[in-house]
Amino acid sequence: MQLFSIEYISLVVGFLILLIGIWGILTRKNILKMVIGFSLFDTGTHIIIVALGYVRNKTAPILDQANLQTNTAQKIVDPVPQALVLTAIVIGLGVTALMLVYAMKLHNEKKTLNIEKYNDLKW
Amino acid sequence: MVAPIYIIATLLGVAFALGLFGKKMNSMAGLLSVVALGFASFISLEWLAGFWLYDRAAEYIYTAGFKPPFSINLLMGKDEALFTSLINIAGFFGTVYLWDKLKKIGSNGYVTLMGMILGLNVIIMTRDLFNLFVFLEISSIATAGLIIFSQNLKTIAAGFKYMLATGIISGILLLGIIFMYYFTGTLNIDDFLAVHSLAVKGFGVAVFFVLISIVLELKPFPANGWGLDVYESADSGIAAMISAGTATASFFVMYKLLPLGTPQFHMVLAGIGLATFIGSNLMGLKQTNPNRLLGYSSIGQVGLLVTILGLSEFLGERTTFIAYSILISHFLAKAGLFWISGIVKRSEIKEWAVLRNNRLLLILFGVFIFTLIGFPPFPSFFGKWDLVLNMASNNQYFWIVGILIGSLLEGVYLFRWLGYALKLDNAEMPAFEVKWNKVLPIAVFGAATFVVGYFVSSIHPYAKIINYIPLAVALAFVLIDFLPVYVKNTLAILAMAYYYYYLYPTLSSFGAVFGAIFMVGGIVTLIAGYAFKGQRRGFYPFALMMFAGLIGLIEAKTTLGFFYAWEVMTVGSYFLIIRGKKSMPHALSYMLFSMGGAYLMLAGFAIASVGQFNLDMSTLSHVLVHPTWVFILLAVGFLTKTASLGLHIWLPGAHAEAETDVSPMVSAILLKAGVFGLVTLFLAMGDQLIGGDVSVIYLLGWLGAITAVMGNLMAAFQEDAKRLLAYSSVGVLGYILFGLSLMSHLGWLSAVSISVTHFMFKSLLFLAIGGVVWRVKTKEMYRMGGLIKRMPFSFFSVLIGIIVLAGLPPLSGFSGKWIFYNAVMAKEWYLQGALIFFSGMIAFLYTFRLIHSVFLGQLKDEHREVKEAPFWILVPQYMIIGVLLYFSAIPNSLLKPIGKIISPYFPTGGLEWTGQHAVSTYGYWNGLVIFYIVIAIFVTVLVWLIINNRKAQKVKQFNIVFAAERPFKPETSHYAYNFYAHYRKAIGILVEPKITGWWEGVAEWAHAMGDKFRKIYNGNGQSYLIHIMAFIVIIYLISFGGF
Repeated sequence: MQLFSIEYISLVVGFLILLIGIWGILTRKNILKMVIGFSLFDTGTHIIIVALGYVRNKTAPILDQANLQTNTAQKIVDPVPQALVLTAIVIGLGVTALMLVYAMKLHNEKKTLNIEKYNDLKW
Repeated sequence: MVAPIYIIATLLGVAFALGLFGKKMNSMAGLLSVVALGFASFISLEWLAGFWLYDRAAEYIYTAGFKPPFSINLLMGKDEALFTSLINIAGFFGTVYLWDKLKKIGSNGYVTLMGMILGLNVIIMTRDLFNLFVFLEISSIATAGLIIFSQNLKTIAAGFKYMLATGIISGILLLGIIFMYYFTGTLNIDDFLAVHSLAVKGFGVAVFFVLISIVLELKPFPANGWGLDVYESADSGIAAMISAGTATASFFVMYKLLPLGTPQFHMVLAGIGLATFIGSNLMGLKQTNPNRLLGYSSIGQVGLLVTILGLSEFLGERTTFIAYSILISHFLAKAGLFWISGIVKRSEIKEWAVLRNNRLLLILFGVFIFTLIGFPPFPSFFGKWDLVLNMASNNQYFWIVGILIGSLLEGVYLFRWLGYALKLDNAEMPAFEVKWNKVLPIAVFGAATFVVGYFVSSIHPYAKIINYIPLAVALAFVLIDFLPVYVKNTLAILAMAYYYYYLYPTLSSFGAVFGAIFMVGGIVTLIAGYAFKGQRRGFYPFALMMFAGLIGLIEAKTTLGFFYAWEVMTVGSYFLIIRGKKSMPHALSYMLFSMGGAYLMLAGFAIASVGQFNLDMSTLSHVLVHPTWVFILLAVGFLTKTASLGLHIWLPGAHAEAETDVSPMVSAILLKAGVFGLVTLFLAMGDQLIGGDVSVIYLLGWLGAITAVMGNLMAAFQEDAKRLLAYSSVGVLGYILFGLSLMSHLGWLSAVSISVTHFMFKSLLFLAIGGVVWRVKTKEMYRMGGLIKRMPFSFFSVLIGIIVLAGLPPLSGFSGKWIFYNAVMAKEWYLQGALIFFSGMIAFLYTFRLIHSVFLGQLKDEHREVKEAPFWILVPQYMIIGVLLYFSAIPNSLLKPIGKIISPYFPTGGLEWTGQHAVSTYGYWNGLVIFYIVIAIFVTVLVWLIINNRKAQKVKQFNIVFAAERPFKPETSHYAYNFYAHYRKAIGILVEPKITGWWEGVAEWAHAMGDKFRKIYNGNGQSYLIHIMAFIVIIYLISFGGF
């Protein structure tokens, strides 16, 4: 991979976003901010997935394009990561939604979103 | 065969269809779900049967018409069939159990549940890594939904922590998967396994991320606080499903992906597992909340399974057998325990005494606890045996030690809990509601533990030759437990008598001697059972179980058979001991010492099996590696049963608090199991040297001598009559150990003959004193006195008993002593001999107390109307007295056969018999003559007394003057409390409970450690995430050589 190529940049950016997400999850006390951390973590992962599937100078594997009728395999980017990332995005959405539901229910219980206040169960 | 894809289709289809159901159709929705799960169970069970019975080939299921890597594929093989069966059965019965709860929630609840079970099924079957991720997420999301079935602060907080943790874990899994794809261009697990491209740099890291996230799903210590919270807070029915379902599926994923890891990573994995197993069980010690306790246990057990996977390189083809037998035990037991917890609804384990209100649930509770710990006949017993044996054959002793310590810790809290349930007061607790749909799953799983146990033993090459009939008979008594005592007692005696009759021709050598002690002894002590009224529930199954175990020891052909019998005996005797009113703590310490001893034996047998072609008992005579260790491990194992000094602290309480006829069973008979073990061991292995010059048996001789002195000393200072007798057993067993250690004909002759006479006089004394206690309702001797007038028959029994015990002529105790001193002189162990002699003197002290404080002296006011002991308790006493007198008058009737048994092993230095005249190197002795002489002296004195008594004036009890006062209470003229105060002043320091204190210190330290460790679970979800991240970093550094 070349420095400053699009796939390299997106890989680095993906990791950066992922790390920011982890940082948020591990340091923010506010539950909503933690959920946002998770979203960033997910997004970073998604960018990484796409970046890994990208192949320079090749096109999307939509097979009814005229120039893809011969030597198809050499002309397209890897479609699998793209399929994966869609699935991952959907799952990420589900998880985030459920986390937000939990956040709401937690807030209903104690009227606070500080994660440190929810330590009734321990040891 | 129904195609396995229908499992998915059915569950998914029904889940979607449920969305169409209206609010009023909850019952219908429930029924449909149960049917769907039942159908799914049927499919997977059908496949399992197909694989097992007809040896079918595994079947791949391809989706979308392509083969991998272009499509997702599933596999239904033997393993998958087993695991999906487990999951679906858990789902089916879990849904039945949760019927009411789910009905309240409505179809959404069923959808969530189906989603979870569906997810777990696919996790097991899929061969596609990304698909694995997707369905892990589906089941996690569904689980997060299930956790808040009961919505309160605790469940919501726990569910959120669960979401945080699984969110991070699956994120890392996804990263790993995508990089694995990047390096190989495939997502198919089989391709990964075929490629073995671990050498590719970077790929290893990707694999690490995948594996570590699966490890994290298994809740490794200490990154598992979130899991504990879920177990504690979730509805018990849900917790059961998580523990039985999710943990089982996650384990299978680990099993499936295991070949991806390097051997080095497998060792790391084993380490993680062991740390989890020990750590979790250590922290469980301080737990009082039942569900959290089960959570600790669950996590610990999964840790053990991870260890087994990590060690698969050593375990080879046995890995599957070991892992599966332990896993299925855990699956059944943990689901059952969580379900019971859901019925009992108590948040303190001490309140589980309420469980006694429901006999069936109490029995099942016990069954599950014994299944979990790995007692026979449950499957995990055989798994643990194979595990330890295989590790020993690979020289991996570190792992053996770790696994056994972890198991012991688990035993501590589980048996404490069982003890609470069995013994604590439950008078003021309201009964709990029992519904059939909640009991049914528990009963099915409880029955399954036995079925699977039988199945597992039938496919084990050595377990299948064990004779299970005695145990089966004992268990059959559970079914007739409703019958009155006299029926069951008669049946029990008949069963024992028949079995002895059947066994008798096959018994030889020491087996014949100990067989007689165990079986005839058993029958004699059972006779006393006729004294009990009513049903005496729960006595006979366990009494017979104990005897089944004892018989099994003699019958055992293999070390596995011996160990199996040993454990059966332990289970039976534990339940006998805990029957006593105040026995709870003593039964616990008995159990823990037994478990500790059993684990030492297990380790000993394991090392002994190294390099052998089979497990025959005879292999002990040619142990190939570490024979000294084998000897020490086995000997110490047996010494826990013989209660030698240092390992004796469980005995006094356990024997003294037991019921009248249980005390002789456990004190006079059970202890001989340890003696039999030592006899077997000494004969097979001979002496062993530590470091080439210190003889182990020589050390055991010292131990025996010191035990004899200390046991007798402690007996002398007791106030409690039964405790006195219990300590006296410690002393006599010290004699026996010493006698065996002499390793000479005479030494063994005395040891074995004392074993026989100890059975007789100790049964006699325990029954007689037990009969007295039965009537006077106290065990304190100073509260008794003058009972000779009220209980003359018991008095005579005690008199005979103590004459034999103290080794006075003319009774057979004397012959034992005479042979003993001959043996000591021949061996020239004078110092030890002096100790033994000294202990004999002390025996006079305590035996005198029994007569003096109980029967002589002043009759207490409250005992004036007391009756003789019950007839049926006297019957066995007088049977024993008859035999004792016979052996005393004609000593060679006992000693000659024993001598003959010993001769092949110790041919020289025996006794020369002419009639009743025995000659040794140092002198001669004629039992019959002594008998006549003593009788003559006795009769002379008696006649003289009778003649003189005619002139004597009859005196009433208070017709005395004492220090110028006339006492009017019996207590004032009967000195009995702290009788040996002057001796206590002189040598009391010797009997301060230092050893007890030491063991208590160990226990306290372990509990304090557990308490300290568990503080890392501070309840903060974010801290748990930090644990997870730190765990990943540390394991990464370990795996990739950073450390």
